[in-house]
Amino acid sequence: MTWSLPHFRRAVARAPGRLLALVALALLAIACNEAHPRNTLQPIADTGDISAWFYHMLLWVDVVILVLVMGVWTFAVLKYRQRPGDTELPPQDFGNHKLELIWTVLPTIIVIAITVPTVGGIFKLAERPDPNQKIIVVEITGKQWWWEFDYIKEGINTANELHVEAGTQVLLHMTSADVIHAWWVPRLGGKRDATPGRRQDMHFIAREVGTFDGQCAELCGASHALMGTRIIVHPPAGEDSYQHWVEEQQEKAKEPAAGSPEEKGRKVFLEKGCVACHSIAGVAELAPGARSRTSGPNLTHVGGRTRIAANTLENNVDNLAKWIKNPQSIKPGALMTNLGLTDEDAKAVATYLFSLK
Amino acid sequence: MASIADFAGAQPPVYHQERESKYGLSDWLTTVDHKKIGILYGISGLAGLAVGGLEALLFRIQLAQPDQHIFVGDQFNGLVTMHATTMVFMAVMPLIAAISNYFVPLMIGARDVAFPRLNAFSYWTFLFGVLLMHSSLIFAEFPAAGWTGYAPLTTKPYGAGGIDFWWAGLAMLAISSMIAGVNFVVTILNMRAPGMTLMRVPVLAWMILVVQFLLAFSFPPVTVGLILLAFDRTFGSVFYETSMGGDPHLWQHLFWLFGHPEVYVLILPSMGIVSEVLPVFSRKPLFGHHAVIFSGIFIGFVGFGVWGHHMFTSGMGPIADAAFAVTTAIIAVPTGVKIFNWLGTLVHAKMRLTTAMLFAVTFIPQFTIGGLSGVMHASPPLDLQQHDSYFVVAHFHYVLVGGALTGLFAGAYFYLPKITGRLLDETLGKIHFWMFIIGFNLTFFPMHLLGNNGMPRRIFTYPADAGWNTENMIGTIGVVFQVVSVLIFFYNMMVSSKKGAVAGSDPWDANTLEWMIPSPPPVHNFDFTPVVLSERPLWDHKYTPGFEITVPAQREEIHMPSYSWRPIIVSGFVLLVLIGLLSHIWALSVVGGVGIVVGVYFWVSEPV
Repeated sequence: MTWSLPHFRRAVARAPGRLLALVALALLAIACNEAHPRNTLQPIADTGDISAWFYHMLLWVDVVILVLVMGVWTFAVLKYRQRPGDTELPPQDFGNHKLELIWTVLPTIIVIAITVPTVGGIFKLAERPDPNQKIIVVEITGKQWWWEFDYIKEGINTANELHVEAGTQVLLHMTSADVIHAWWVPRLGGKRDATPGRRQDMHFIAREVGTFDGQCAELCGASHALMGTRIIVHPPAGEDSYQHWVEEQQEKAKEPAAGSPEEKGRKVFLEKGCVACHSIAGVAELAPGARSRTSGPNLTHVGGRTRIAANTLENNVDNLAKWIKNPQSIKPGALMTNLGLTDEDAKAVATYLFSLK
Repeated sequence: MASIADFAGAQPPVYHQERESKYGLSDWLTTVDHKKIGILYGISGLAGLAVGGLEALLFRIQLAQPDQHIFVGDQFNGLVTMHATTMVFMAVMPLIAAISNYFVPLMIGARDVAFPRLNAFSYWTFLFGVLLMHSSLIFAEFPAAGWTGYAPLTTKPYGAGGIDFWWAGLAMLAISSMIAGVNFVVTILNMRAPGMTLMRVPVLAWMILVVQFLLAFSFPPVTVGLILLAFDRTFGSVFYETSMGGDPHLWQHLFWLFGHPEVYVLILPSMGIVSEVLPVFSRKPLFGHHAVIFSGIFIGFVGFGVWGHHMFTSGMGPIADAAFAVTTAIIAVPTGVKIFNWLGTLVHAKMRLTTAMLFAVTFIPQFTIGGLSGVMHASPPLDLQQHDSYFVVAHFHYVLVGGALTGLFAGAYFYLPKITGRLLDETLGKIHFWMFIIGFNLTFFPMHLLGNNGMPRRIFTYPADAGWNTENMIGTIGVVFQVVSVLIFFYNMMVSSKKGAVAGSDPWDANTLEWMIPSPPPVHNFDFTPVVLSERPLWDHKYTPGFEITVPAQREEIHMPSYSWRPIIVSGFVLLVLIGLLSHIWALSVVGGVGIVVGVYFWVSEPV
């Protein structure tokens, strides 16, 4: 079949309408969509504000340019068609030096105009926190597939859920124990790579109290998708204050009552070899002089965490038991050993761990 | 008015050595004809497009809804890795190679490339590399470290056996690309028809020339990176092992020093195609012809100085970040120049909206969207949020699918009639066009929102309450549209190449030399070497009095290279070396190494 003008003119006339209808439907569907708990454009910290400012600035520049290009494009495509029977050649126009100059110089000016604040933003984000103010320092280590948080000064070692105080400077030292990870809580601000053998710093001041989710952003193996994290921003004072949390965490693990199901769970925990990878302050301490780092998360206050398996499951006895029984069924390739516990033993350990608030 | 019928009277040249065009198996295996090699690249590229598309369809099904368990963990990661590796190296690059091989000699009025046997060697090395990498599915499992292969995820403790096939396959593709780069640089610079000054070289051939320089200079760094990786995995060296003093950032720098120019390898030829198709169907010259060429050259140079923008989150420090932010933003200027000149070509045109033209015209806004989101990433404070998120996925698919692949589709509808001698069906073509464009935008436009809403790339599942459900479902529906449209395209090619309307030499009333010879062209391409008087030799022959291409009175005497088994044999020995390294059967590698040396000796001493 050869090209026939009336035929495709009809097709061309109909198709954009269909396209527009589809796009409109899609946009409508998106607009009426669910809540966006990880919206990078609703930041809760100073670093996120900087990123969002650049987003909006550049979005406006982009929209203006796109409207300009699309305007000329649409006008040309609609107007400059060969009409049937028209065999005359259009003017053979080879170019225009003045126009070339304009559309080289103008974009150059725009590029300079956006580059100057960009460089400013880069150095702003690289500033060190003010040493005269309070700083919460946390060492983050990415591991396949969970996050270890070490509060060196406070002597707290915990996992996956980062607790900080609203309005206080937080300084994160980031590294990795195996492959490259990237710690990203979208509402907090940009991500940073956690690279083995390197330390990268990131600091921020969160201003909104609440719980905000994030996850690893650098492909790190089979369960990369399930390497979640969460930041819990405490108010500076009151029942739920950061200081309160710190004091709780500094306590040793809760002692189960004699003869209770929890005590049975602790027995299984100690006998089945969980202590090879996990420590519990006061129960399964590391050898003196050993590094505080462990290959599995520190479980001293695991019952107090909101989620388990790196923000994958709700923290409750059932989920804990499911995870202990067969970690790989929840996270493909999970490095935690499947100890082949009976349902009863798994349940007992889960009950014990959940009691460690 | 002169017409191309004038050339029919030319006497075919005198062969010093007869070379018939045959199409048996051994003819394909031993061919050194740039047109046949172009067809081989084309078929390989289309097969790659099908495989890469299938992989995309599979993982989009997994992502259609939250918490699905169809492809989990490394199955999903393997699909994602192979999708990207296949689309970049085994679909878009060979399709570009197909057009380069088939049309560069025709466009510049040559009878073949500078080194025809080396050209065959490039193809076979490419094909063996592709097969080697895909054989991972049989002998091990798909590599699952992402197409960027970030160490240490690719090193022995973390990367399974599929990674060995990945580096070995990529190494062969790198050898193929570097050699092809040198071959085509020499061809375009030395084998132009008399009168074809550099500024009269068609824009597509110019962009391909820039790309060949990019190939020749950007593949060496990644090849070094791959060799270091091979040593780490095969012999236990520690280039990427931090506990022994190695550094994973070394890989990132080596990879992106290749990886960013590679982006221009993929997009510049499509820009060239658009620069050829727009003027022909607008019936006027390309606006700002020289500006389009020089901006392409400028992009080629600056493209080597921007790789760090892929590493803003890695902690290079504010000074390096600032430097790469500035160089990256600069690239927006020549890119803008090209876009404005294409728009200038459309203004006052008399457009014929054939399928080729529809694709070429649509390239402009789609590529513009991809370019503009690229300007956003150039700003590190913002890129820290967008890096490794779906916003980036949207960005590079607008450039590589909305740009590169759309341009290649324009090229297919424009150039295939020259190869097959028959026009593609326009109705099927328009269905392909609309389904593809709608599907593409359905899939990738919502991904900008996913990125803004915090969805990281390369995750095999996501929770239902993260706010990503709708866009992912729409995305999967869009992929189905795209897959169906490409199937229609395949069907169109198969049917039209046999039953389509006969194209004749010049079906589009085109500008350049390849349209003055029959479709498909004879083995020797041109009965006589045309003398080029302008940047639009064929157009001026038809429409500008005084610029006719004259047929010489004398028959030309030519010598075409003969068939040769040697390129494919040497290429087979290269494969043998790598198989030996993979299987740890060192004897194979030794045999392969000796075979290469002996084979090259017989190659250079072969009478042609």
